[in-house]
Amino acid sequence: MDRISKRFGAIEAVSDISFDAQPGEILGFLGPNGAGKTTTLRMIMGILRPDQGGIRYGRSGQSGKVPKSRVGYLPEERGLYDDARVMDILVYFAQLKDVPRSEARDRATKWLDRLDLEAWGQRKVAKLSKGMQQKVQFIAAMLHEPDLVVFDEPFSGLDPVFQDLFKGIIREQREAGTAILLSSHQMNRVEELCDRILLIHAGREVLRGPLQGIREGAGFHVVSMRFSGDASFLRGHEGISRLALGSDLATFVLDDATAPDSFVRSLPPEIVIREMSIQRPPLHDIFVRAVEGTAS
Amino acid sequence: MSKLLRVAQWHFRQTVTSKQFLVMALFIPAIFALAALGIAWSRGDAASAATSEPLPAFAIAFFLALLLFLGAFLSAIMALYGVIREKANRVVEIVLSSVSATDSLGGIILGLGLAGLIQVIIWVALAYTAASRFLPISLSVLSPVQAICYPILFVLGYLLIASLYATVGAMMKDIHSGGPAAMVGMIPYAPMLFVAAIIQHPEATWVQVATFFPPFTPAVLMMRLAVSALPWWEVALAIVTLAASVFLLMRFSARVFETAILMYGKNMSFREVWRWGIRRR
Repeated sequence: MDRISKRFGAIEAVSDISFDAQPGEILGFLGPNGAGKTTTLRMIMGILRPDQGGIRYGRSGQSGKVPKSRVGYLPEERGLYDDARVMDILVYFAQLKDVPRSEARDRATKWLDRLDLEAWGQRKVAKLSKGMQQKVQFIAAMLHEPDLVVFDEPFSGLDPVFQDLFKGIIREQREAGTAILLSSHQMNRVEELCDRILLIHAGREVLRGPLQGIREGAGFHVVSMRFSGDASFLRGHEGISRLALGSDLATFVLDDATAPDSFVRSLPPEIVIREMSIQRPPLHDIFVRAVEGTAS
Repeated sequence: MSKLLRVAQWHFRQTVTSKQFLVMALFIPAIFALAALGIAWSRGDAASAATSEPLPAFAIAFFLALLLFLGAFLSAIMALYGVIREKANRVVEIVLSSVSATDSLGGIILGLGLAGLIQVIIWVALAYTAASRFLPISLSVLSPVQAICYPILFVLGYLLIASLYATVGAMMKDIHSGGPAAMVGMIPYAPMLFVAAIIQHPEATWVQVATFFPPFTPAVLMMRLAVSALPWWEVALAIVTLAASVFLLMRFSARVFETAILMYGKNMSFREVWRWGIRRR
């Protein structure tokens, strides 16, 4: 995507956003509610037209318009035809993506087996639970083996077992060389899955890069320490800020001027460490900080 | 184009296999037919009716026109439900990520139009069979002009009403929200309220004017053709005007559909809709 903008009346929903998704990679597409994520995803899917900028699709040297049959989409707004049978819907959606009928039927059968829905293929959608319907939509997004799949909040409303199952399938798609765009508010899921992230706020890019790099780039570690003894030496210790010191628990931020190992070596022998963690800040914190940073 | 046909095939199959369709296409005329048979038998004049005076040609044409218009109208209502269902089910985003908005809308209109056509054929066949049981009637009394114009008017009438309804459907929040948008849907039906006046004075000036107002054309022209021989230029001009406005309306409604169908839970003003409809691509 190259410098995409879209406005609705007076509101600029997306302004000047560029990014790319590579085969065999999961790109996390993040942003607070109303940041313009769904609008951007709809433009990639060719449902909306950007006012400015271009979206190109290239594979093996060619590049051109995004072919609708090579992309898959799990929209955040979930829906299926209530009166139709599960198998018929899956075959219909696959046919719209140019998969031949018998091929679509075979693949759908395999997917339904895999997601424990084999008994439901001939049932009507209205008879399925919400979670089951979501599985069906998940299958519909991937049945035609697209080059690019867009998942908009794939985990919302799912129990932990399904979430793990979906996570496994998404990883599998990555191994198979699919480019995956994952939009979610569940930061722990994003951290587990994504290779790179792009964070937008109010239609603009705020942060981008490889997940590891972004966490490194935060410039500090978050330390949590359970101890017995006197820890008052932490006050005024070099590189420490935002210290919360209790009788046996201390949490603080250690800036990058003090490396974790040198901090550990600097601990006085009188203190007994019971538990300790030194971590890069979780994506959640980075997200909140970045969004607040742009708001002010 | 092949995508449009796929969408059409889906909506056609979903509709003709639904219970509602069976009720509309078979049971309703069957009930009427049974009632008519019952009345005829109880009066004991079933046999004598067969030898009675033949039905005047205009009555046959008029009845056919009525069935065709009703068929076009009810088919368009099916298309309206098709669009609303697509929107209310939230399925539209998946569909639009696979086919263009024009193919999607065109598929709904074509698929449900074919379902409607089948329904009308069943009605006409049933009515013809039932009526010819008592009366010596024949469709061969139709004039060539009627025989040519009625199918054309059915198709154009359906397309006109269906694209009007598709616009209305894309604007509606769900099947229960009516409001001003639903009133628009009654416009093509309005001439039916004046059916008696039109067939008594098919040459009156106001009837002539109404013939050239495209939303009224299908109903008015069908009725006038049933009762009077109209100058060929008047018929041709009305049909050409209708065809042109059908073309423009379909383009308009495809553009509105594209934007409005994604707006869930919002009411849209006519002004907004008009802007979407006339903007350039």
